[in-house]
Amino acid sequence: MVKAGIITFLGTNCERDTKQACEFLGWDTEFIWQNDKIEKHYDIIFLPGGFSYGDHISSGRIAKLTPAVKSLPVGKSLIIGICNGFQILTEAGLLSGALTYNENLHFISKVTDLEFQNGIIRLPIAHHQGNYTGKNGEEIIMRYKRNVNGSDDRIAGIYDRKNKIIGMMPHPERAVFEESGLTDGRKVFEFIKNEI
Amino acid sequence: MKSFKATVNVKLKDTIKDIKAQTLEQAVHSLMPVQNLKCKAGNTYSIEFDAKDKNEAEKIINTIAEEILSNSVIEEYEIKW
Repeated sequence: MVKAGIITFLGTNCERDTKQACEFLGWDTEFIWQNDKIEKHYDIIFLPGGFSYGDHISSGRIAKLTPAVKSLPVGKSLIIGICNGFQILTEAGLLSGALTYNENLHFISKVTDLEFQNGIIRLPIAHHQGNYTGKNGEEIIMRYKRNVNGSDDRIAGIYDRKNKIIGMMPHPERAVFEESGLTDGRKVFEFIKNEI
Repeated sequence: MKSFKATVNVKLKDTIKDIKAQTLEQAVHSLMPVQNLKCKAGNTYSIEFDAKDKNEAEKIINTIAEEILSNSVIEEYEIKW
């Protein structure tokens, strides 16, 4: 059985959605508190969405200093940052580039079309700093069909295959259950599962 | 120990599109005509602390600026004492 860990930071708000999505797939899932060093083995570690430390200074800037992030088992577990988690991974230097303010300076919260694995999927996005720039070597795994936030090359998600680190701004965990009206998030979780 | 006070100014590198500054320029132009207007957005932090000497104080403030106040991928900072 896949063993998944979900790091929760002060201000994280997508940890339950992520846990429910993992459990829907039959994964054994538990939370990891930000102040705990990661010593157990997990097949997958999620840095979920939210507003860690209230986005103060800049999104993800403070969370990168926590014991959980500093002890991430790079290269051993598959590490996935979703939205604020992606911001934390870039701030920590675990993924290249940076996520700056959206080109229209608005907080964008809507469902959007994305190019993913030779097809189009629909997922929710909800961010203020999602304008990605400065990719250096990672594979692009997801693109906005229409560039909603000004990101270089319409980038919505990247994958450092060598170190097994994925970052994406859209929220697949919010698109798993029929009652949420969207289920394309399942395709992303299936992709993640195949990368373990 | 001596007391030190530093001001750290953080702004986007010139190679990164400064959307807040562009918005400010548009706002200024809608307010009044200004020739050769160039804006730059950023943040200013005022930090006081004690250190053994200026050398140690510089190390402390540089660490704070590099690790917390700025992201070297997109931003640069300057320190004023």
